[in-house]
Amino acid sequence: MLKRHFREWAVAATLGALLLLLALRAPAFFQRAQLLSMLSGAAPVLVATCGAALVIISRQIDISIGSQFAWCSVLLGLVIHASWPLPLALLATVTAGALFGAFNGLMVAGFGLPSIVVTLATMVTWRQGLGWWREGEFVRDLPDRFQWFGLGQAGGEALILGSAAVVLVGMALAMKHLGLGRWVYAVGSDAEAARLSGIPPRWVTFGVFVLNGALTGLAALLNAVRFTDVDPKTGTGLELQAIAAAVVGGVAIAGGRGNLWGALAGVLLLVCVGPALVFLHLPPQWEKALQGAIILLAVAADGWRRAKGKD
Amino acid sequence: MSRWRLSGWKTATGRFEALLACVLVIEILVFSKTGTNFATLGNLFEILRLSTEIGLLALVMTPIILTGGIDLSVGSLLGLCAILFGKLWRDAGLPPVAAGAATLVIGAAAGGLNALLITRLRLPPLIVTLGTFSLFRGLAEAVTRGVDNFTDFPKSFLFLGQGYLFGGVPAQTPILAIVAVGLWLLVHRTTYGRAFRAIGFAPEGARYAGIPVHRRLALVYVLAGVISAVAALVYVARVGQAKADAGTGYELFAITAVVLGGASIFGGTGTIHGTLLGVAALSVLKVGLTLSDQPGELAGILTGALLLLALAGDAMFRRLDARRVAPATISQP
Repeated sequence: MLKRHFREWAVAATLGALLLLLALRAPAFFQRAQLLSMLSGAAPVLVATCGAALVIISRQIDISIGSQFAWCSVLLGLVIHASWPLPLALLATVTAGALFGAFNGLMVAGFGLPSIVVTLATMVTWRQGLGWWREGEFVRDLPDRFQWFGLGQAGGEALILGSAAVVLVGMALAMKHLGLGRWVYAVGSDAEAARLSGIPPRWVTFGVFVLNGALTGLAALLNAVRFTDVDPKTGTGLELQAIAAAVVGGVAIAGGRGNLWGALAGVLLLVCVGPALVFLHLPPQWEKALQGAIILLAVAADGWRRAKGKD
Repeated sequence: MSRWRLSGWKTATGRFEALLACVLVIEILVFSKTGTNFATLGNLFEILRLSTEIGLLALVMTPIILTGGIDLSVGSLLGLCAILFGKLWRDAGLPPVAAGAATLVIGAAAGGLNALLITRLRLPPLIVTLGTFSLFRGLAEAVTRGVDNFTDFPKSFLFLGQGYLFGGVPAQTPILAIVAVGLWLLVHRTTYGRAFRAIGFAPEGARYAGIPVHRRLALVYVLAGVISAVAALVYVARVGQAKADAGTGYELFAITAVVLGGASIFGGTGTIHGTLLGVAALSVLKVGLTLSDQPGELAGILTGALLLLALAGDAMFRRLDARRVAPATISQP
């Protein structure tokens, strides 16, 4: 168990050590309000990371989710302003995300184009297209019934965390126990072998991209309810954040390996770095450098273990 | 150089470049009509001046992509080198020449870090450079505490980015030309270039053929570090200041130019002149749209569309070329 999931446990242990250090040196970190607000800020990243992990396990990559996220956020703000009921707005946002994902999926699975270049192109196109349309204008003054789902901050935060938890647990279980989940691993390990055993690799890839887009839409929703305005530049860099969290959590970029529990540990570790610096009275400008170092250390540990022939 | 390539690839690549050249010609024709002062010598030099840093990064990205690798960290490294150059000049009191030389060494060391992780620990370049992408930018932010800004560089240094030679040629153009010619010779006229392609096609096969795979890979990543440092110096001299966010997003622009220039993202095929065409097509598009009073975002939209069209066209060409039986597989990064 420990050997097989070494990476996941190592990241969890690092996270545990960080939390222990914080408990000893800066107990204020664990104040209920601060913890809740940090975690509800991390929930959208977690949902996006679930999608990114899925895509990477199927041996593809999607660097356009930041732009999809921005589109979904702006569209959500606009339909809320148009007085759509909340459930309908939610459905519209997730559907919009799924359509963006479907476009990527069509290009990758349908036409056989390399996913990194396809999503590079869609990343630029969607982002600039949004900028052209909105001209940088915020969607302002979202109504109270929308903010925190109209439940007040405490209730809203609970609902955000609950939704993210449901997505995570549901997907983690599905990836392990459902046939469809195993298909994703099979296609990621060896698409040709999967095809020969009766799995339709193109459809699986397409489905993974659609699901990834839908999750991005959901992430946009969980993020947007925390604010009164929607910034059209939101989500910039989300793709690399999500990929980094998945990779730190042990999802192999070569596909076919990793799970969402590891991705959860990766998200929490990377998200805690910034607040931890603040609470430990260290210069917060080091956040990005430390996150980079964590990514490098995590993959270097993998390489080192492999070089020693333990993997 | 092209003799050993698989038949069909060469024609496909050649056609790709011809297609891109057509796009470039169309752009120039259209913008000559619509743009104010577009078709002037001064504007040509202005485009050259503005695209030098991007061009440098795209050029040095080409051998990396030839080996089947990628380097996401060049933009961040440009930012870090710009900051450290400013720091060495202003706070350590070095003359610009010494500070510049030290910056090149720092660039080489940063490229060496990528190379070390990629070759020694055999980690995927995408992930290693994703890590250093964050690390280098983060170090730049940490060194400047996110606010420091280096300005007031001496005139003699600023000449590198703002001056003109022979009454019109931007001072940084010779640098771009030297790097372009040097890399062209390296990639197309030496056994190194052949090794890059061989590694891109099949790393194991290259190793069995006696190519020192790790040393060649290390070379391309160290080279990327050095050229990123050069680009940083040109950048600082052009804009006259060094901030931690210098060069944000340049890596994606460079990769776009290389892929647009006909290189396969899986490695093995691609040319330096193709990359130059790609850079030219993107830069002309950007400047031309600005001079035609079109919003800047349109350049991004068209770039993305062009990239998708180029890919789809390439895939179609190849399918027509090779009606050979090939198992239907999904392309994978």
